[in-house]
Amino acid sequence: MSLWALPRIGERLSASLSSSNHAVIKEACYEELRKLSWSGIPRQVRPITWKLLSGYLPANADRRECVLQRKRQEYFGFIQQYYDSRNDEHHQDTYRQIHIDIPRTNPLIPLFQQASVQEIFERILFIWAIRHPASGYVQGINDLVTPFFVVYVFEYIEEEVENFDVSSLREESLRNIEADSFWCMSRLLDGIQDNYTFAQPGIQRKVKALEELVSRIDDSVHLHMQQYEVEYLQFAFRWMNNLLMRELPLRCTIRLWDTYQAEPEGFSQFHLYVCASFLVLWRKEILEERDFQGLMILLQNLPTMHWGNEEVSVLLAEAYRLKFAFADAPNHYKR
Amino acid sequence: MATAPYNYSYIFKYIIIGDMGVGKSCLLHQFTEKKFMADCPHTIGVEFGTRIMEVSGQKIKLQIWDTAGQERFRAVTRSYYRGAAGALMVYDITRRSTYNHLSSWLTDARNLTNPNTVIILIGNKADLEAQRDVTYDEAKQFAEENGLLFLEASAKTGENVEDAFLEAAKKIYQNIQDGSLDLNAAESGVQHKPSAPQGGRLTSEPTPQREGCGC
Repeated sequence: MSLWALPRIGERLSASLSSSNHAVIKEACYEELRKLSWSGIPRQVRPITWKLLSGYLPANADRRECVLQRKRQEYFGFIQQYYDSRNDEHHQDTYRQIHIDIPRTNPLIPLFQQASVQEIFERILFIWAIRHPASGYVQGINDLVTPFFVVYVFEYIEEEVENFDVSSLREESLRNIEADSFWCMSRLLDGIQDNYTFAQPGIQRKVKALEELVSRIDDSVHLHMQQYEVEYLQFAFRWMNNLLMRELPLRCTIRLWDTYQAEPEGFSQFHLYVCASFLVLWRKEILEERDFQGLMILLQNLPTMHWGNEEVSVLLAEAYRLKFAFADAPNHYKR
Repeated sequence: MATAPYNYSYIFKYIIIGDMGVGKSCLLHQFTEKKFMADCPHTIGVEFGTRIMEVSGQKIKLQIWDTAGQERFRAVTRSYYRGAAGALMVYDITRRSTYNHLSSWLTDARNLTNPNTVIILIGNKADLEAQRDVTYDEAKQFAEENGLLFLEASAKTGENVEDAFLEAAKKIYQNIQDGSLDLNAAESGVQHKPSAPQGGRLTSEPTPQREGCGC
């Protein structure tokens, strides 16, 4: 059930977040915040909740303002120190690639076609890339900035975000959004960095795990794919590399990430169960396809355009069930 | 959507390779959908497209793997080279660096495909004549020296896009006809007349056909 539909829980969540009421969020409150967030976070408290759940903000409300200021300064310190090096010989390939990719990020959403927004994305990605040379910038990471950016814009506006003109924001607000997005994206990537290092071992491992899991939970789907020689890597590589963002509308990704941040190891482990749940959700459509081409075209273009919170909740409930059944039972996992 | 019966005689596997941003996905999209997508999102790993075309009176189904240009995805994209009957090697006529990298793309293609794989060089973005950075003649010469087919094309206007896929298919078909391509060889990239469902090594599994085959 969604918190949107449960104003009282929303109020409790707001109350537990409010710094005036509680100087210190106790461990128990923090756990409650996680639990409440699992089923979806109301828009008005989503920015601060994401910052808390990701560990970017300390639970202690008295320290938050000071931490925020320090982290924001630190980020703009990086910009000052490193951003000019984007045209240096050893960084120019990285920068050029980011520069080419940014206009191709969310091409259908006007917000992301604004020059100042594209510059923010370039800075965030460039700084992250040169500070993480083991992976560097990998296509797909650009998508991962988007949900944070959108949610942190929400902090300053009431209206819809997709057509929002960022030039109406104060410069300081925009700088805060940029720094907060950088740090939260960095924390996310810390947990899944082996998705993006050489030969992408994290993705290879997770795709294998997905295959094993699906063979356990839905034999007919698994055998059907085998019969037509569809390999999981052929469609699920992107599911892992872009955390399903290419498969779902942005609003659904944001809702999904409420849960990923509330769930321990959400992005690195729980995502696997979500992918399995996502695949078998289409079992009817999959079983109707009678050749390789049809299956591949279907799996690359799953019809989620109309999806909203309800569909994501169903997806997550099934993923949770799978995790409960299989995560701590490695022998269940093996055939 | 379920597919129609197998109204084609061969399946040819293709790959599209080349630097990022040269327009590989746009060529594929133009070929399969007859539309130009400006700013289409970059390809992650590989993406798949398919279309049936006619070569010398034979219906041929093309299975096309569009690969990501970024180096980091090479571990994944390389596994698609094997078993390709045709390779479209694409550069951007307005960006010389993408042309300069062709020899490394060609080395990859030669090392990872079989000797019969037909490689066609495509100079994309031919509509941007004013920004041209690579001449037709030098690319033509490169192609001849390396035994490649060659065309300049535009995914935007559609110019020569059809022909790019067709020329490679004609050459593959010719190789089949003159016996230089052995259909029984592993990873020839060609499958003949699937009367059973495609995929599954064409087992004799009795899968019902959707519409009558007339027999």
